[in-house]
Order: sequence, then structure tokens, then C-alpha cells
Amino acid sequence: MECEDTQERPEAITAIINGLERYNPEAVGLLEDYLRQQCEQRYCDCNANRTLLKLYQLNPDRMKDEVVTNVLLPEALAKLRELNTQLQGAQYSRFWRNIEGDDLCADLVADIDGFEDMVRIRIATLVSHAFREVDVAVLAEWLGLEEGAARKFVQETVGWKIEGDKVQVPRNAENEAKKAEVREDVNVDMFSRVVRRAWEETA
Amino acid sequence: MSAFQNGEQRPMRSMEVDSDVEEEALVNDYKEQVQYEDGIGEDLERTSSFGMAAQTDDIQSRLVAAAQPLDFSAPLEVKFQSYDAYCNLFHFILNSEGPVDLEPPSYYWAWDVIDEFIYQFNSFSSYRMRLARQPRDNEEERQILRENPNTWGCYSVLNVLYSLIQRSQITEQLAAMKRNEDPMAVAGDYGSKNLYRMLGYFSIIGLLRVHCLLGDFSLALKTLDDIELNKKAMFARVMAAHFTTYYYVGFSYMMMHRYADAIRMFSHILIYVSRTKNFQKNAQYDSITKKNDQMYALIAICVAFHPTRLDDTIHTALREKYGDQLVKLQRGGPEALPIFEELFRAACPKFISPVPPDFENPEANVDPIDHHLGIFMDEVKTNMFNPTVKSYLRLYTTMDLKKLAGFLEVQPEELRSYLLVNKQRARQLRWTDQGGLLDGEWVNVSDLDYAMQGDLIHISEAKVGRKLVDWYLRNLARTYN
Repeated sequence: MECEDTQERPEAITAIINGLERYNPEAVGLLEDYLRQQCEQRYCDCNANRTLLKLYQLNPDRMKDEVVTNVLLPEALAKLRELNTQLQGAQYSRFWRNIEGDDLCADLVADIDGFEDMVRIRIATLVSHAFREVDVAVLAEWLGLEEGAARKFVQETVGWKIEGDKVQVPRNAENEAKKAEVREDVNVDMFSRVVRRAWEETA
Repeated sequence: MSAFQNGEQRPMRSMEVDSDVEEEALVNDYKEQVQYEDGIGEDLERTSSFGMAAQTDDIQSRLVAAAQPLDFSAPLEVKFQSYDAYCNLFHFILNSEGPVDLEPPSYYWAWDVIDEFIYQFNSFSSYRMRLARQPRDNEEERQILRENPNTWGCYSVLNVLYSLIQRSQITEQLAAMKRNEDPMAVAGDYGSKNLYRMLGYFSIIGLLRVHCLLGDFSLALKTLDDIELNKKAMFARVMAAHFTTYYYVGFSYMMMHRYADAIRMFSHILIYVSRTKNFQKNAQYDSITKKNDQMYALIAICVAFHPTRLDDTIHTALREKYGDQLVKLQRGGPEALPIFEELFRAACPKFISPVPPDFENPEANVDPIDHHLGIFMDEVKTNMFNPTVKSYLRLYTTMDLKKLAGFLEVQPEELRSYLLVNKQRARQLRWTDQGGLLDGEWVNVSDLDYAMQGDLIHISEAKVGRKLVDWYLRNLARTYN
């Protein structure tokens, strides 16, 4: 996922991020608008969003008039950390159960257009790095979908074939697990110093 | 001063050309500097005993004072005074009419000033946090701190560092050097003076450190975009700066889960220290011994996440210092958790909170070190079972997932998650010696690879071929003798 420095970023935002402006509390508004734009247009500019977070961190008073109240924030943060840990730990079915049964989570992701499908595509990508073939039932759990919906998502959105109850993951560099031998490439230059020294000593 | 100028204008060659020769040159260079510095010390003593024109003497003594360490146990009042003194000095340097006409008192001066400035900011913040969290018989001090939230504030410190960078045009100068052009052409009135150029340069290193202390690791690494990490970098000529840079770069990589890069950074500097320690002056060497040990602890952590072959010198020292801990870390599982925690606490920077603490609600203030430890431990727990899983996988070329789950006494679903996690961690972004430190290419850093076909795990292990270079070198040496 390319999200460190996105192409979509407008000039004005670049100017904020790369200069002293990034510490100007007045930049909060512009960065918030930009974040809203990212949510609506389904991309993510981590660098810009971290700048916004840093401004919140340095100016806690700036957050007061936001939807996020100071009381809610610690809880929301704890929740996000829990969700992050579940994604990091590949506990995908737990992640989806956590999202579904929780009003706070629903609020957190409500403004992000297509949030769930973006997470599903990310999970599918990670699965493709480790699997050549995977049971539909297993993948459905990980995608947080019923089996029927999972079949549809895998075939139409991800573009993989399903044979019987097995999803066939296309070959890629990551799921080959080829035998490799680590070899050193040696060339004469590597010994130039030794040879030169020997030459100098005998000369 | 002449040594510094020669060093800077020497044409830049690529690092790989003749790295050994360069290392040798750098080590010799360092020896000269150590002697050179001895000379400076005597000079300074002499000048101060002779006395100068009062005004010059005053500003000169302020310059010297700014680089002096503040007594650790200094009372709060002195810490406030010190803050004011820095503000005045930087105001004078930055906002006088035109560049001030001063030479830095010594080669190390600019580094020492920035280092001491940040150190005092850091210890002040930690002290203030401690008082806010534990109100006991210190109402008077708490009151003073409450009333002066901006003294040693984050904004002021960042402001000083960014302003020095901007004034000196150091970013432009470094970019010109990268293109093999004359930095003086873009240095401007300020940046062409040693005082500004060196303050600007070390402010970049200072920013790396401050961002890291605030827990913003990617911004910390991004700060170094204009600095080339090679042995001819300006920081490499001041031992403490060289050392500090690599510590914070390595630490930031570690927190971003880029363990291969972290190990590389720590190894680089630790090897350099071990090569130069024989002629380090005792006082200077003592002060880096602690950071030295901290970096070994961090290497132990990184190696546990990412087993790899270390340089022999590092390997031996690591086993001496942290042998027992390393074995436990590498075994993984719940027993390793307290060791990870212990080493992290001992080796992490003293993190600070970006805003003043809440004195009214002591319990609302989270210790910043606990906070970052918590985030780090999340990652440790996520990877806790990787060593066990890998040790089993190594024994087979194919293996049934349910059978392996039985051996490990976990549910198949859990094992699938472990396998996914381990697979993801084996792919790391690795810096390629070019571009910014945040860049890199995705590589598989593990010697063990696997792929799953349903419940069948296919495993392959990379075989390490003969160490040919070693072999040739040893035999060449034998031939010559």
C-alpha cells in the first residue's frame, strides 16, 4: 500500500508538511479538509495525516470543537490500538467480530468510504503472500463475510478463481517458497588491498 | 578549524569505492583531532587568563557556557535561568542585524551546544512529568512549573532548531554537496559563516533526536533526508555526534519494525567505537560507554525479532554483555516478555510528552516511557511464537498444518495466524544506501521460507554457501607469509 507520499497531494499541503508551517496550529483546518477528501476519495496520505496528529498532540485545545471529544478520545484510541493489534497479529476473524458488535467502531469508520472493502483487499494481498491455495471457509472468516458473499468478493473484486471449495491464489514471488542458496559473489577487486600491501612490502 | 574545512570540501566519492582505506583514514583523522583538541583546551585557558576586551569576552564566555553541561541536580531556578540564557543567545545569533561575526570557540562547540540544549530540554521535561505524577512535599516547585508551561516547551525547542537550519541554508548547502557543487554558492550571508553552518548542521541531528523523543519515528528519519550517511559526513568528525546519530536512526528503524536496517546501523557504529576506543580520551569514552551498552541491548532485541549473522566483533561482545538474555529472547514465548521489557527500558531514549502535564490530575498523566514500552510490547507479543514455529518448520520440507498445530498444542486457526504474521515479518523494507532513510526495497530477510497449499505447508530453507571471501583472504595471507 503506497501511502507515505501520495501523488494526489495538493501543493498547499506539501508546503505545510515540508516547512515550519507544519507546527502552525492554523494549519489544522486545511489538514482536516484534506483528510475528509482522502476518506471520500479512498486514498490515504499518512505523512499528511501524521502532521495533523502532531498538531493535535501539541495543541490539545484544537480538538475540543471537533466531533472527537476529549472524553471519548482515550477510549477511541484504546480501541484503535486493539484493532491494530488484531490486524498486525493476523487475527482477522476477531477483528471483524470486534468491528461489528461495537458502536464506537462503527462511528470510527463511518466517514471512510469503502473502509471494509479496503481492509478486505489488504487482507487478501497478505494472504496471497503466504498461500497458493486456501479453503473458501477459512478465507471467508478472514474477510468477515458469509461464504456466498466471500465467493463473490474473491472472484469479482480480487479476481481469483475458485475450484470447488478451494480458492486458487495466483503464483507470485512471495508464495513460491523456492529453494535458495546464499552465495557470495567474489571479484578480484575485493582483494586489491591485500595484494597492494603485499606488493608494497616486497618492493 | 582548518581540519574541518578541508574535510568538508574534499570531493565526495561513493562510499563503496574503497571503504577500508576510508575507514583507516577516518580513524587516523580522529587521532589527530583528539590531539588537536588537547591543544585547544590549553589555548582557551591561556586566553581567559590574559583577558580580552570586555564585550567580546562576555559573548565568548556565553558561547563557552552554552556548551557546558548543567549539573544534574541543579535547582529549578537554575534550570529556568539556563533556558533564558539559551533563548537570549539564540535570539542574538538568529535575530541580530545580519550575521554575527563570531567564530565557534572550538571544533566541537556547535555540537556541544545543540546536544546540551536538547539534553536540558529532555531532563527538564522528565523532571516536570515526575513532579506532576507524584505530588509530595513539592507544592512550591509544582506551582512554578504550572505557571510557566512554556519554559523549555516543545515549540520553543523545535523553533530554535528549525530556525537555525533555515538561517544557515544548510539544507541547500547539503543538496549542493550531493550534486558535487560548491556549497558556498548557495550558503548565503549566514550560511557561509562557520558558526551558522555548524549550528545548522547539528540542528538537523538535534531534530532527529527530538522527533524520536516525541515518538515520531518516521519524521525523525525523514529529517536526515539531506544528510548522507557515510564516513565523510560532517557528523562523523565529532565522535559524540556520530554516535548519537546512529543510536537514534537505529532506534527509529527498530520502532518501525525495520530490524535489518536497525541492526545494520547499530553494528556500524559499534564496530567504529571498538576500533577507536584505544585512543579515546577517558572522559569522553566513559560518557559513551553507557550508550554503547544500550545499543548492544537493542541489537539483542532486533536479533531476536530478526535472526541474522552478526559481525564477529559484535557477536562476541553481545554474548559477553547479554548472553543469557539473548538466549531467552531468541527462544520467544511468554518467558521472554520480561526480558524484552527489561532491555527496552534500559536502552530506550527518555521519551517525553509533547505537552506540559496536568498538575490537577496526577493520575491522568501517562509516563511517556510506559506508553512507548506498551506499543513496543504489542509488537513483541504479536511475534512471540515465531521462534517456536520456525524451529519446527526447519525440521521438515512439507508438513500438515493440523499436525503441526497438534505438536504446538494450539488450534489450527491460531497457527494459521502465526504463519501469516511470521511471513509478513520476513518481508522488510530495507534501505539501499541511496535515497532517504525511509525509502528502501522490499526483501525477504529470512533464511526460512514457506507457502501453504490449503493445509499443506511447503518449506524451504536457504542454504548458506561457503564463505569464499574469508577463505581466499586467509589463504592469501598464508601465501604471503
